[in-house]
Amino acid sequence: MTSKRRTTGSGTTGAATAGTAKGGAPGAPGSTAESATAVAGEPVSRVDGARKVAGAAPYPNDVTLSGLAHAALVRATVPAGRVTSIDTDAARATPGVLTVLTHTNTPGLARGDQTPLGPQVPPPLADDRVLHYGQYIAVVVAETAEQAGAAADLVRAEYEVTDPVLALDDPRAEVLSEPWGADLRRGDVEVGLAGATLRFAAEYSTPEQTNNPLGLFSTVAQWDGDALTVHDATQHPDNVQAALAGAFGLPPERVRVLAPFVGGGFGAGLRVWQHVILAALAARTVDRPVKLVLTRPQMFTGVGHRPATRQRLRIGTDRTGRLVAIEHEALSSRAMEDGVLTRIANRTGTAYDCPNLVTRDRLVRLNIPCPAHMRAPGTAEANFALESALDEISYELCADPIELRQRNHARTHPQTGARWSSNALLECYEQGAQRFGWAQRDPQPGSMRDGQWLVGYGMAGVTFGRYQPACQARATLRRDGTAYVCSAAIDIGTGTYTVMTQLAADLLGLPMHRVEFALGDSVLPPAPQAGGSGLTMALSSAVHDACGRLIEELLALVRTDVSPLRGCRPQEVTVAGGRMHRIGDPAAGEAYTEILERHGRAEVSADGASAAMDPAGTDPAPAGSFAAKFVEVRIDADLGVLRVARVVSAVDGGRILNPALATSQIIGGTVGGIGMALLEQTVTDPGTGRIANATLGDYLVPVNADVPEIEVIFVGDPDPLTPTGVKGIGEIGLVGIAPAIANAVYHATGRRIRALPITLDQLL
Amino acid sequence: MRGFEYLRVAGAAEAVATVSADPGTSYLAGGTTQIDLMKDGVLAPTRLVDITGLPLRGVTRASGSILIGALSTMEQVAADPSVTGVPMLRQALLAGASVQLRNAATIGGNLLQRTRCRYFRDPQVPCGKRVRGEACSALAGTHRMHAVLGTSEHCIATHASDLTVALAALNALVRVQGRDGARAVPITEFYREPGDTPDVEHVLAHGELITAVEVPVPPAGTRSTYLKVRDRASYEFALTSVAAALLVADGVIFDVRLALGGVATIPWRARTAKAALRGSPATPAAFQAAAEAAVHGAVPRRDNAFKVELAKRSVVRALLLCMRTPERAGAPR
Repeated sequence: MTSKRRTTGSGTTGAATAGTAKGGAPGAPGSTAESATAVAGEPVSRVDGARKVAGAAPYPNDVTLSGLAHAALVRATVPAGRVTSIDTDAARATPGVLTVLTHTNTPGLARGDQTPLGPQVPPPLADDRVLHYGQYIAVVVAETAEQAGAAADLVRAEYEVTDPVLALDDPRAEVLSEPWGADLRRGDVEVGLAGATLRFAAEYSTPEQTNNPLGLFSTVAQWDGDALTVHDATQHPDNVQAALAGAFGLPPERVRVLAPFVGGGFGAGLRVWQHVILAALAARTVDRPVKLVLTRPQMFTGVGHRPATRQRLRIGTDRTGRLVAIEHEALSSRAMEDGVLTRIANRTGTAYDCPNLVTRDRLVRLNIPCPAHMRAPGTAEANFALESALDEISYELCADPIELRQRNHARTHPQTGARWSSNALLECYEQGAQRFGWAQRDPQPGSMRDGQWLVGYGMAGVTFGRYQPACQARATLRRDGTAYVCSAAIDIGTGTYTVMTQLAADLLGLPMHRVEFALGDSVLPPAPQAGGSGLTMALSSAVHDACGRLIEELLALVRTDVSPLRGCRPQEVTVAGGRMHRIGDPAAGEAYTEILERHGRAEVSADGASAAMDPAGTDPAPAGSFAAKFVEVRIDADLGVLRVARVVSAVDGGRILNPALATSQIIGGTVGGIGMALLEQTVTDPGTGRIANATLGDYLVPVNADVPEIEVIFVGDPDPLTPTGVKGIGEIGLVGIAPAIANAVYHATGRRIRALPITLDQLL
Repeated sequence: MRGFEYLRVAGAAEAVATVSADPGTSYLAGGTTQIDLMKDGVLAPTRLVDITGLPLRGVTRASGSILIGALSTMEQVAADPSVTGVPMLRQALLAGASVQLRNAATIGGNLLQRTRCRYFRDPQVPCGKRVRGEACSALAGTHRMHAVLGTSEHCIATHASDLTVALAALNALVRVQGRDGARAVPITEFYREPGDTPDVEHVLAHGELITAVEVPVPPAGTRSTYLKVRDRASYEFALTSVAAALLVADGVIFDVRLALGGVATIPWRARTAKAALRGSPATPAAFQAAAEAAVHGAVPRRDNAFKVELAKRSVVRALLLCMRTPERAGAPR
């Protein structure tokens, strides 16, 4: 990304195709008056909400172009082996078909450079080998999507099938040790365990789960000579640019990626998957723009999923419950020849104060579609094991689960010993417990019955690591008194458009409706992915910098002229109502419009940037977010039917830019957590490697009736390491829900379920 | 989806003649199963005859029975005042689909809805229900949702409808029109267990059209309920379901209706359980005995063995629910 070239000034006036959202529809809070009141921190409505509910927000699969052709994918129906022959005659003979691409007629494509999240996807249709069921073996391009789909069904492949390796515990499977260098060690675990009063060991497992954003991933690719424009459902436009430039051997600036609106991702859009490359290849082959929309079953095999894990924990405590040793080993699934950065056990390293610790991550090569990032990857799985184990230990010690965690609270970063930049985990326990009514809990399992219902209370703590990559943004003031702020970032529904509009409005002293925020276009200043809970930290810091530099630019313009602000330094002025004035003297100032008018400038721009932050290397230690989760479950004593009755989440996310959107994000994560705990499981057929439940009818996610009252409270202070005080809350909503539910199930029934999902047949 | 011809017809006779004459032609009513299966490549009719314009809509109360037009929507029937006296019918309709689906899906289509078996619904894998003679993939595959009653080595797919379970308990009649005239088939004889021809699911000849369902109203004083147990609270098929009706006088069971869903290849009328209960006192012990009888002959497999125990417990719960006030009857939430 650092090599990305940029032409100063281009794009600053809002290219028509870039995603832009103007602040505040009429009537939205904080947007009706040109007031100096701060809007960051207010629960303003989504600035893009009206367009979304009116169907006017252009998602990638809404894009249509003149001469558009349509592609459909053909997938392997065996888990391992070779394609010995592939018959495309019938497909080619059907009406509307333009071409059929297979490994026999596809040029070798290159592979882009390694990314921070692992390697780029292997080139598609590279050879005759089949490494998993569902691997793409052909692409059909036709005049209509229906013609392409019908013709794709007619492509016939013959295979030489080899014995697949499909299960995590298959003794033939190759196990990779520490491919990402993520294993942690401090102190001596064996010595710690030897001296422990209580020694605990257990194994936990989590299944493969599939991201399933509502929007089917879609790519529209159009070539103009050797320039490629792609509309894509992605969480990282700059990565799509890099992957396609790498695949086709193009300079990055010849590839433009547009994604102003994306129908969700849950991590699936962090990587650039093969269908994106195939859409571009198809468009180049037929010399027409091509649209490719994945089917729901293809969303289960082609865009990543949460790996399966088996996790072994050995824990020692002293008599009072102080942790003296933790050993956490996680085995997880990966694809045979592909894999992304995966760390599971590693996440336990910073959770609690414990002098002796070892974490080991081991990856098992299988003939499965490539696991990747899904909703709090690694942390969600590791936290399920660790927080379940602590609950088990609390019963062995007859200690309250909250007290046990408080006793082991990491007052400093457990690995480096540095003080945290901010950490309100203790407040999360305290305030969450109070709101939930934890004191009413009778600790005896099975003791809180309500008629046919067994009632259980459970809780879990969460420490979510900080990930803050580098980011850039540009801020522009125009002569009409409006501002345009932009970055190649993404809003996957989290509210990036809205919070950045709020922030820029405050930083420039403008009402929200005079601020336009643009994102989702790779020609804009480089931005990191919407992932790792890092975008708001990185982007708000870059926007803060850009807006500050813009004020400096304006002051530089008036340094020697007639302005009442002449000679002012940035720290001597403040902004409000579309103007700058000397601090403490509102009369000594002038409107931006006057300055631009006088200097004959259409606009003034400034670029801003924020640096990547090393989470381990500094003092204070950059803190991520923290949370405590509280859950009440009700289980039908005879039928095993389990319903989550209520959830309270107390979250330290630093400064909250928009409490309405932040609460939504935590609620959404909570629903995902309920799915992870009770419903979601990607089932693979033994023997064939076919995914048996690759539809939204068979792969269960929570529906409204499964979602109880969810209460969210934010605690803690702004984080001092970002100029905006922000920490990331993208994923912490999900983490901790599954163990809190499992712990509540134990409290209700006395049954400890160590394998997700928890289904009623386990509770009969 | 493959291309197909679309046709509207003016009358039932024309519809029946058109479909009967061509094995590649199918009826189209609500389309909530048909279109899904066409999209998935499971069904590929060359022609669809849209019957939604036929005058087969509406619910009428005759003496001792309710007559439901085959093109009435699930929602229309659930909301009709004449079914309020038969709680299990209304509850089965409401538990059977989301409101969006209930507004589109018809009663005739509900009777003929196809199984949710994942192997039936994926043309890439063998399935004897989809293609006669092919082996059952669910046996070696995953089958947690599959049937334990009425199965064969050729098919263990579960019958998907909730409504038909209630209709089986109530001894409903299916009115049918064919090329050679009309007939009425008791719903308990309407469906066929898979045996070695799992592709044959019912007794209708190709082109025979369901015109109405006639539901005998249980005697006054009968209490009924439909209990559906499932993994999520809504929008999901049953792991087990029970349609139960009890008529109790002086603590003794005078009449009982019992049918099971989610556990069998057809709506499963529990006749031996009925025999066990009639004339006995309405006690939990009697209900337990009936539950044992209801699952007699069950063949549990690797992933679905729990359904046998769950079905028994569901039967007991449903009968207990019948004993309570109607207001408290209903599926657990």
